[in-house]
Amino acid sequence: MRQFQQKLFCSVPEWVASGTRTLARIGNNQLHYQVGKGRIAPDRGSCRRWILSVPSSPSSHHERDGIQCGSQVLRGPTLHDLAHFRSILSRPDRSIITTLTDEASQRQLSSDSRAEELVRYNQDWTGEYRGSSSLVLRPTNTSEVSSILRYCHENFIGVVPQGGNTGLCGGATPLHDEVIISLEGMNTIYGIDGQSGILTCDAGAILENLHSFANERGYLFPLDIGAKGSCQIGGNVSTNAGGQYFFRFGGLHGTVMGLEVVLPDGRVMHLNMENVDDYGTIQQSKRIASHRKDNTGYDLKHLFIGAEGTIGMITKVSIACPALPTSKNVSLLVCDSYCNVLTVLKTAKEELGEIMSAFELMDYNTLSFVFAHGFGGNESGSRLLHDLLQSESSIQEPERLRPLYLLVETQGSNSVDDASKMDTFLTRLLDSETIINGFLAQDERQLKEMWTIRESCNPCVAQAGCVYKFDVSIPIEDYMEVAWEVKKELSVSMKDVDLIACVWGHVNDGNAHINIVTPGRFKKESAIDKNIEAAVFDSVLKRSGSISAEHGLGQKKNEALGRIKGENVLDVMAQIKGLFDPHGIMNPGKYLPKKT
Amino acid sequence: MKILVPIKRVIDYAIKIRVDPTKGAQGVQLSNVKMSMNPFCEIAIEEAIRLKEKTTAEVVAVSIGPKQCTETLRTALAMGADRGIHIETKADVRGDYIDMQPWGIATLLKGVVEREGGVDLVLLGKQSIDSDCGQTGTLLAGLLNAPQATFASKVDRGDDGSFTVERETDSGTEVIKLKPSAMPAIITCDLRLNTPRYPTMPNIMKAKKKPVQTISLEDMVKELGLNLDEVLTPKNEVIEVYEPPPRKEGEMVGDVMELLAKLKEKGLVA
Ligand SMILES: Cc1cc2nc3c(=O)[nH]c(=O)nc-3n(C[C@H](O)[C@H](O)[C@H](O)COP(=O)(O)OP(=O)(O)OC[C@H]3O[C@@H](n4cnc5c(N)ncnc54)[C@H](O)[C@@H]3O)c2cc1C
Repeated sequence: MRQFQQKLFCSVPEWVASGTRTLARIGNNQLHYQVGKGRIAPDRGSCRRWILSVPSSPSSHHERDGIQCGSQVLRGPTLHDLAHFRSILSRPDRSIITTLTDEASQRQLSSDSRAEELVRYNQDWTGEYRGSSSLVLRPTNTSEVSSILRYCHENFIGVVPQGGNTGLCGGATPLHDEVIISLEGMNTIYGIDGQSGILTCDAGAILENLHSFANERGYLFPLDIGAKGSCQIGGNVSTNAGGQYFFRFGGLHGTVMGLEVVLPDGRVMHLNMENVDDYGTIQQSKRIASHRKDNTGYDLKHLFIGAEGTIGMITKVSIACPALPTSKNVSLLVCDSYCNVLTVLKTAKEELGEIMSAFELMDYNTLSFVFAHGFGGNESGSRLLHDLLQSESSIQEPERLRPLYLLVETQGSNSVDDASKMDTFLTRLLDSETIINGFLAQDERQLKEMWTIRESCNPCVAQAGCVYKFDVSIPIEDYMEVAWEVKKELSVSMKDVDLIACVWGHVNDGNAHINIVTPGRFKKESAIDKNIEAAVFDSVLKRSGSISAEHGLGQKKNEALGRIKGENVLDVMAQIKGLFDPHGIMNPGKYLPKKT
Repeated sequence: MKILVPIKRVIDYAIKIRVDPTKGAQGVQLSNVKMSMNPFCEIAIEEAIRLKEKTTAEVVAVSIGPKQCTETLRTALAMGADRGIHIETKADVRGDYIDMQPWGIATLLKGVVEREGGVDLVLLGKQSIDSDCGQTGTLLAGLLNAPQATFASKVDRGDDGSFTVERETDSGTEVIKLKPSAMPAIITCDLRLNTPRYPTMPNIMKAKKKPVQTISLEDMVKELGLNLDEVLTPKNEVIEVYEPPPRKEGEMVGDVMELLAKLKEKGLVA
């Protein structure tokens, strides 16, 4: 536990000092005092009065980090707060997981198993970030989210919204002891409008469940990412997730029609989502209405798409789904150079045109890891991988001579036409020797296995060692060049460290996932991290690319924002943050760079 | 060696079957549904190709069904079969036990074996996943009076033309030897026999040039001297087709105590 030395602190007129305790009154929910100088905790006797204390050592995290945008210091939850949360949640036993021990929680579980349960929420998917939150709240409806946020806002308690916790930038992991608000208890799917195809659900609905729901009703859910079994639509919207269907069905800024959001002060906003009241309850006998077009006022929902939980919590989402394509074809192709990949892409645009729904690349190093670590027991998939890797058996040096693999998918409405387009496309590639080998899925199982290979890239590479992950946008012609350039530079600057560069991603969006692995070495080392990051960022920025194409900023890349955005842009972003979240309680220390 | 592999086109095994309750016995919807090769037939093709790779053999794939069966045959050819025979039925003839049934198919296959001449081995799937009958192989062996082994999980060919087959039984595996005979050996393939290959692009292209003989059911019946009714009229009648009752949705409980309370309430524990 951190030690606080209680001290007199009177920089705000309303504060009334009494001995070593400083009691404060808060008027208009406004509290102003210097950044990073202390900590406030409620006086147990009254929630309107505060104890202010100043840290005994300058290493207090709040002092170290300051808090962006806001100008106040946050605190972690106390037993007093816990009692309050118990009183406002309808099913406190299920909705609260905590290591704070009061009588009620002692009755529930032993402290060990509670601590164990909390680990899952405190630890991010990559294993790189770990928070020390002592309290997870799992509200079951909008009005509970609202009460929780209002309380945290009034009491300056930091919160971290959490969806499926699959984010790759530590956005859903507390920096310290913030309260985690997990939406896993809110997963109702309200339905899909038969005319407009607009689906409405709670933000905690899991992406894969939305897929099945839409499919069963003849629609396609227009977002698909590898983490679909765990990630939630609220998390997807908050990170503005891209995924493999981005270029066919558009991004979330295009497909999200309406949102229900709760602001930090507890207000609920309905953004192009009608017939839902301020408690999030849907008006009986009416369906939720979201319109495709709505030009009445600032379109605020777009601010929440990609805001990573820094200005409010998303509690409901409406999203437009296209009709389910009835015919699907998938091929896996092998090219012996990146130049040929570009020819395949050009040919695909000409021959497959509007039915092309995915164009994904995986490099040789990635696929070798998938072969080594994936497909436990699935012989058919392993066999395909084996055959793919065999296509060019010997491992060539330098790396640019190693084969590259493409997954090309079409989705359309006429299986005969689509198959014939695919056939023409593949015949052209073979005749011109643009590909050296390839496979065309003959049935659904093969089709799924091909996708499983693609979706195994992330987890399988992670099993090989520590992964330094980058998700960048670069000009398509330099798609592979960046990784090769970085690898070359690192082999000089860090020649003692064994590094393997793995690249996969969405070629047509110019979005490359560059993953530098230290094989067999699982601990992240900050010196290596810095070097790699510098090399990747330089290479990307030199090409006017983006250092975060779809994974966002979180606590991983927020500092880099200062390097890539102009001062005016940063200022306005900070003002927006301040407008929505004046106390800076939402996901503190992330997204925006620290104030200097 | 000449190997004959009958293959069936069925609703793709990964697709959810939809039943239209108003259509009675014809309720399983086939239109606009993805069809693929029966997975057990795929295993049979793979095994035939492996035998061919070990020795030398001609692998002939036969499919009985509507026009689109040529696609299924192309898959077999892309995997490595040498040629195809397509006995084409009219578009409205259903292969999923409603019209064509194992007796009719086996009768036709017997004719094909004789028409081909010199067939050493017929490899079939142990069953097709649409009707799950598992009868075609055994009926064919009966009609031909040929040696047979079902549920094969391993097949070896002896130099004398015999086949040693490891077969799966309820209590484990059993090894039997099919002696060389004047008739082809009939073997039906089980799941563990092999893992079928994915056809490669170059082989898919080559398969387009391999010969497929298409002959209508009516012509084939005539050529083989069979009776069309014998082949086409079902021996058994399907009375009704219905979907399995939906599984009741589960209920989440918070902890063990709650679970016990619920179980007690339902009288499942004392
Ligand atoms: C195997 C794998 C593959 C992936 N592939 C892709 C890919 O192809 N494309 C892609 O873009 N990403 C991909 N990702 C990254 C990740 O899955 C996405 O960022 C996803 O959208 C995160 O959703 P989540 O529910 O897990 O959110 P979390 O990780 O829980 O949260 C992400 C951020 O959103 C905030 N947040 C979550 N829910 C809410 C809410 N209801 N209201 C407000 N804020 C909220 C959190 O505070 C955090 O800042 C992949 C991840 C993995 C592990």
